[in-house]
Amino acid sequence: MTALALACFEEEGPYLRARVRLVADGRRIVGEWLPYAAESLGDGAGRGGVRGAVIVVGLLGAIALFALEVWSAVWAYPFNSGGRPLFSWPAFLIAPVEVGALAGAIGGMAMLFRNAGLTRLHHHAFDIDEMLRASQGAFVLAIACDADDATAVLGAMAQAGATHSRLVAS
Amino acid sequence: MEAHTLSTGRRWTLPSLRTLEDVTETVAAPLMDRPPGRNWWIAMAVCAIGTGIGALAVGFSFVYGPGLWGNNTAVVWGFPIANYVWWIGIGNAGTLISSLLLLTRQKWRGSINRFAEAMTLFAVTMAGLFPILHLGRPMYFYWLAPYPNTMALWPQWRSALVWDFWAILSYLLFSVLFFYVGLVPDLATLRDRPGKRGWRRFYGLLAMGWQGSPAQWRAQERLHRTMAAVAVPLVCSVHSIVGLDFAASLMPGWTEAVFPPYFVVGALFSGFAMVVLIALVIRRAMRLEAMIVPAHFDAMARIILAAGIVMGASYAAEWFGALWGGEAADVRVVRYEFTGDYWPLYAAMLAGNVLAPQVFWVKRLRTSVPVLVGVAVAVLVGMWLERILILLNTLSIGYEPSFWRTYAPTLVDFLILGGTVAAFVMLLLVFARVLPVVSMHEMRKLVAEEGSHESTTFVGGPEERA
Repeated sequence: MTALALACFEEEGPYLRARVRLVADGRRIVGEWLPYAAESLGDGAGRGGVRGAVIVVGLLGAIALFALEVWSAVWAYPFNSGGRPLFSWPAFLIAPVEVGALAGAIGGMAMLFRNAGLTRLHHHAFDIDEMLRASQGAFVLAIACDADDATAVLGAMAQAGATHSRLVAS
Repeated sequence: MEAHTLSTGRRWTLPSLRTLEDVTETVAAPLMDRPPGRNWWIAMAVCAIGTGIGALAVGFSFVYGPGLWGNNTAVVWGFPIANYVWWIGIGNAGTLISSLLLLTRQKWRGSINRFAEAMTLFAVTMAGLFPILHLGRPMYFYWLAPYPNTMALWPQWRSALVWDFWAILSYLLFSVLFFYVGLVPDLATLRDRPGKRGWRRFYGLLAMGWQGSPAQWRAQERLHRTMAAVAVPLVCSVHSIVGLDFAASLMPGWTEAVFPPYFVVGALFSGFAMVVLIALVIRRAMRLEAMIVPAHFDAMARIILAAGIVMGASYAAEWFGALWGGEAADVRVVRYEFTGDYWPLYAAMLAGNVLAPQVFWVKRLRTSVPVLVGVAVAVLVGMWLERILILLNTLSIGYEPSFWRTYAPTLVDFLILGGTVAAFVMLLLVFARVLPVVSMHEMRKLVAEEGSHESTTFVGGPEERA
């Protein structure tokens, strides 16, 4: 690869058309940036594990608080409150439910950061001016190509409906 | 409110939002391009004064103690707990509305979810103040947290106060995370717009390097939906716990299994009323008429109507349960509600919570601004009256006649309540100037969907489209 063909699309339809055609032609997508979570991407994009993290960390948080309740109420501070049993498990379930939900959310956030590669404030993609347009409402596609076939790639992009395209030497 | 045309095939947006960049421009421009107007500064000044007076009343209460309040030996809970329940109800609604609409894939969610979630954060913050104030020794509130201490004491896990501590804390932090997950892509939008360098850095830090790649969108969407699925039972449990504060107490009129669901519906009810009010103000002040359309108010008015009917049924179930059970103290409470010291307030509560929403049976009134404002205010006042009357009607005539006392709030009670209302509005005003009040990425998706519908699908009349 010696160059990068960049294109912006105003709508999802033309962007998808260009993407499908270029992938079918054997082109390699180097980067793509979207202004919203397009349904057409399907569930395959990106790594999974978010739901699992929410469930596992949530359960661990709930169990940890329940264990703390039982230990503190039964062994560390066995206080007789109106003759109620020290191990009052129904009353002990309430706080762990709340904390379990919070712990699950924290686990999910951690997985989001990992899967989405967040906290990288200086990624090289930010050097591409077009990429910044994605957050404003454009669909942006970056395709690897050689200088020889750049014209064909840019032509395919324009034909699909790109509103802006250019070639960047890499 | 102007008639919303359906002739374009759009239901939740106006045709003036033609491109995706129009959405960005409409929401982001008031934040970054236009300085706050005169009305914003006036509102801010009024709220700052109100908050200051409320803080002063709290300060006096710290110095001189709860004797400044109307609480007495029978009505020990009074304004602080009524205010707590009212605020937490409003606070519960934002996340509940947002998550329920997300899970049920309601397209109109995008216009209201952001400020509804912000409303949750601010209302729960206000709610959390009251149990602390009511402790009497608020400087020791941290004793509710389990931590190793020199006295070898641990929290009493069987106490409703401890349940409240965990419910409020967990719910507030969860709501902050839920709010943030939905906000990240919009923070990137503000980061990438031309504007002052300091603000762009601020948004850039919060955006955490969001680029908008397919992998990021999928991860964000998966987490958002999963959190929504967790949020629904969480919200229900939080307000159920508030209901259990009463239902787990051995007092006439409180020991009822209906309390937890009744409190959850009440939260949704008062929350939607607050969302309607905020939507009306934001729509006008921030020129969002193209995004918050009459169809949104129509949908919210229908929900308020349905919730009002459920509230009426809940009150009837309370009366019936007491009369059918025949327990003398319970029957006395019901009789006291209609004929006792607070009956005018009880009548006003029924008018606000049950009668006022009935106007929404008329379609035209569901999109009339004066009617929406009137009903929303009536519901909010009615729900506050419900919260205080749950306390007063039971505690004023409990099981022990020698303990019967009527309750009269003091000026300090009203100043503290007013102070929290002012602080809540002030936080909303700041939010409206710092963060996008509407979810831009969700609105872009909605505009794209409605736009493609407009050009390819609809061939029939407006009825078909609706």
